[in-house]
Amino acid sequence: MEGNFLEIAGIPLLMFAVLVFYGVKVLIKKDISALRGKDKPPVKDEAMYAKKAGTLILFLAFAALVMAFLLFVNVYAALGMFIAATLLMGILWRRMEDKYGG
Amino acid sequence: MGKINKKKINDFFINNGVIIVMFVLVIYTGFTSDNFFTTNNLMNILMNISARLVIALGIAGCVITAGCDLSAGRMIGFGGCIAGTLLQKMDYSNKFFPDMEPLNPLLVMLIVMVICALFGSITGFFIAYLSVPPFIATLAMMEIVYGISMIYTKATPLGGYVKAYTDIGSGKFLGINYLIWIAIIVAAITWFIFNMTRHGKYMYAIGGNMQAAEVAGVPVKLTLILIYMKAAAMYGLAGFMLGAKSGGASVALGYGYEMEAIAACTIGGVSVTGGRGRVSSAVIGVTVFELLKVALQYLGVDANAQYIAIGIVIFVAISLDIRKYIARK
Repeated sequence: MEGNFLEIAGIPLLMFAVLVFYGVKVLIKKDISALRGKDKPPVKDEAMYAKKAGTLILFLAFAALVMAFLLFVNVYAALGMFIAATLLMGILWRRMEDKYGG
Repeated sequence: MGKINKKKINDFFINNGVIIVMFVLVIYTGFTSDNFFTTNNLMNILMNISARLVIALGIAGCVITAGCDLSAGRMIGFGGCIAGTLLQKMDYSNKFFPDMEPLNPLLVMLIVMVICALFGSITGFFIAYLSVPPFIATLAMMEIVYGISMIYTKATPLGGYVKAYTDIGSGKFLGINYLIWIAIIVAAITWFIFNMTRHGKYMYAIGGNMQAAEVAGVPVKLTLILIYMKAAAMYGLAGFMLGAKSGGASVALGYGYEMEAIAACTIGGVSVTGGRGRVSSAVIGVTVFELLKVALQYLGVDANAQYIAIGIVIFVAISLDIRKYIARK
């Protein structure tokens, strides 16, 4: 049972762990260097950028966690939910870049 | 003069340290094992390298633009599954599409590449137009492709392929396996794109300094989409190749291959900080990485300990790459 659980939900759970790590790092340490890359101009408001970016990453992490469990209930619902969450995250990320990015 | 030479020698050892250590290990293994330096073993290693080289060449383009592609492994699995469902024998009991005649393997290869390229272009759109960091966009795509693969295959393993497909994995031309020929052709095409086309020059310009490239008139957004699209097509091709080689596929095909490919690129000299890397870097990286794995097996190193050894190599290679970047700065 445990092996089967990890076989199906392993990838979403791995993604959840990675995103939580980055999200918390961005929120607490305000470290946005990994998100911005080396040549992008400095952001207008670093604290707000870190707060919004961290929240969006955690939002996607939560979506991955929900997907991990939804995979056992209905694969279509799990995929639909995650695609919607990714699209929403992408649009909100663009808005955040426009508002607080350099 | 002596000081300059000493610095050059030091730099050479720091830049190529990982490759030198692995080369020594391979030579040592060759002389201490009976079957290491044999034609059969060499062909096996080359066959293992072929699919991994195609993946690494795809990822190299993303890494040169200071990006990454974590969706590679799932794309490989998806590509392998699509190819598998379209190339099963008519009399196979668990045939996925019972009434459908198997298609031509070359046509299937193109179908797989086009479908994967479509997903790659979506990833590229997220990175280029929505400014989502590559590691988040590709992680999300990894998840989406995994979900689609689960729905498409109903999580069942595929097998019973037509001979024309499995022949690609076992057949030979001029004494060299078809898979190796495919890898050589892909490497040649990639070399041409990287060095002889405007797209290749744009790619290096974006990796060197994205802002400067944009100011200089480089179509950054379109180039990024093309890079991720091209990379995904290569992952699809790698999935097709792996399916032909193993005679089966499942959603788990290619698990963890993206990490190996990124590591191989870094070992070979593709800089994770962007702007640097050649086709030869990917070839060297994948070859050295594969030789290391085979050498460890020959030396009788425990399978779990092999992961630790490979992890240490990746850690050292990336640390040295970052060191080079800091030194350049």
